[in-house]
Amino acid sequence: MSTSESPTRDRVIAMVAKILKLDASKINTSDRLREDLGMDSLASLELLSCISDELDVDIELDEAMELVTIDDACAFVDRVTAEQRGAGAAS
Amino acid sequence: MAQALPPEPIAVGLENQEALGAGLSVAHATPAEAEALPLVRAESTRLVASLADAAAIDRDGAIPLALRQAVADAGLFGLTVPEEHGGAGFSLKAACAVVADLAAIERSTAIMIGLHSGLGVRPLVELGSAELQARMFPEIVSGARIASFAATEAEAGSDLTGIRTTGTVVGDQLRVDGEKVYVTNGGFAGCYTVLARTPGLGGQRAHSLVFVPRETPGVTIGPEEDKLGIRGSSTVTVTFEGAMVPQGMILGQAGRGIDQAHAALSWGRTLMAAGCVGTARAALHLALSHVTSRQQFGKPIGDFTASRAHVARMAARLYASETLVRWVGHALASGQPIDELSLGAKVLCSEASFEICDRALQLHGALGFIEPTGVARLTRDCRITRIFEGANDVLLVRGGAAVLGRKPAPAPARLSLPGPLEREAKAWDALRSRFTDATASVRAEHGVGVVRHQLVLQAVARANLALLAALGCLFRAQARPDELTLARHATEDLLFEAEQHLNDLARAVRDEARVHAVSDQLYAPLSRITKEDPS
Ligand SMILES: Cc1cc2nc3c(=O)[nH]c(=O)nc-3n(C[C@H](O)[C@H](O)[C@H](O)COP(=O)(O)OP(=O)(O)OC[C@H]3O[C@@H](n4cnc5c(N)ncnc54)[C@H](O)[C@@H]3O)c2cc1C
Repeated sequence: MSTSESPTRDRVIAMVAKILKLDASKINTSDRLREDLGMDSLASLELLSCISDELDVDIELDEAMELVTIDDACAFVDRVTAEQRGAGAAS
Repeated sequence: MAQALPPEPIAVGLENQEALGAGLSVAHATPAEAEALPLVRAESTRLVASLADAAAIDRDGAIPLALRQAVADAGLFGLTVPEEHGGAGFSLKAACAVVADLAAIERSTAIMIGLHSGLGVRPLVELGSAELQARMFPEIVSGARIASFAATEAEAGSDLTGIRTTGTVVGDQLRVDGEKVYVTNGGFAGCYTVLARTPGLGGQRAHSLVFVPRETPGVTIGPEEDKLGIRGSSTVTVTFEGAMVPQGMILGQAGRGIDQAHAALSWGRTLMAAGCVGTARAALHLALSHVTSRQQFGKPIGDFTASRAHVARMAARLYASETLVRWVGHALASGQPIDELSLGAKVLCSEASFEICDRALQLHGALGFIEPTGVARLTRDCRITRIFEGANDVLLVRGGAAVLGRKPAPAPARLSLPGPLEREAKAWDALRSRFTDATASVRAEHGVGVVRHQLVLQAVARANLALLAALGCLFRAQARPDELTLARHATEDLLFEAEQHLNDLARAVRDEARVHAVSDQLYAPLSRITKEDPS
């Protein structure tokens, strides 16, 4: 699934650019954290931990391990945010 | 989706205890190896024992050419090269048995063979094109082209994602530029497997493994490093300036270099752990002959209970080390992933061998501190193993994240070992339950943010490792009743440690706050360290 329209996208890309010291315009949402962006498992977990803090979403470690691309991370954040909002509205 | 997660390591083997027990009690993986291995071990031991003067190698800082040639003539550079390419085609497990034997005699020689057989050769075996393999293996097997692995750079050690060496596509060639440091075997190697950034082949930060023959114009070899230990092992800087190689020298899929390097490191770490087993055996042997002959207060010092405690602890650590190394070999031969097991073996064996050497040194008194006894050299030789192929501090952080990142498994089967080790098995099972509960609450409390809690991750990794090693010792002894006494002692020690690590885990977040407070004060006048929030 592509999240190129997602409001999350720009913030996630900005974080990736900052962490990897890369030009944001050169990052594609289809980039894979490992193969394309050269992150190892620790670096990608650190990124997802920043995303979790900055966007205020809870990310479980086993879910984090399954995110391969920036698109995956954006879609995941959008889904969890929607769920958290839904849960908030219901309570 | 993401890389497949390995199975819960603590549950590994519970389904087939007999096969695992048998696998942990032998040094070979197949019946064919069972025949060949004793011959190779006997011959290589005889050869190296007769030619290697460990004290001279240490003093001169080099392995003599005649020794290198002799091990080449004996076929030791073909240990892990497939038989169809002229090698012995040994499994990881069998290669470990040989490397352990060599390390017990002379560690630099063992490292030369071990590094060549694992990190040096395996990427070519697993990822090289048929053409490259056919061209290179005859020279590699004969020892005319010794292999090395060049990942580390001055600014990229533990964090390999920071490497700057590049492989740039120029027509159908790849141009390699950069500088690699601490390349083992580098001084006399005939080929370098180089981890390089290859932008354009994969994403903009993609890395690939590139096979660079030594004779490639633009390759320069620096002088040998002067080291604390393994002084005969070659350690040099290798510079690549416009070194052009055909694109066919990229090993495997371009852009997958970091993962490929980690896969090769699984072999490398296991062979290094096997070397630690060898060093530990040598240290225990020296200690035993010393404590039974040296007399004080009218009796052999080995009679004192305190000395017996040293000796028993050394034997227990060695037993656990051997068990884990065999377990990695057994797992690989059974088609299981070995990344976490090999990481665990590397950490446990490197720490155990240093502890064993240190205890041997203590038991020798002044004789341990002076060089001629050889204990000092063993201690110096094994110190590096806690640093290279991944500093243990970092590996434990990675290991903890990997354990916590696994989907929580459904309640595992109870460990059932009727017989003489039933009590230990019950104790293991109780601790495993405690571990499962503790990791579940860490997951719930921290989520992905646990990556910032290094003491939590390390405690999880250490508890996991101690439980894993204890389980291995229990299974191994099931198949070897003659090892019961030692296995029981090793298991008791490991379970005690697992409990301590679980206690560490319970207070890790508080400990983090405390160490941050102290180190902040110490760093304040000096540095520009960014503050991590341990809360
Ligand atoms: C004799 C020798 C042979 C070697 N052979 C090879 C070889 O053949 N090929 C090769 O590529 N490399 C080789 N190396 C390099 C070796 O693998 C590296 O030294 C090792 O990976 C550690 O990197 P570093 O030395 O840059 O330490 P650094 O990365 O600077 O780390 C220093 C210390 O900082 C701490 N630390 C760093 N990062 C973290 C973190 N994230 N979390 C917690 N603590 C951390 C740890 O305590 C660590 O020990 C060799 C080194 C030596 C000394």
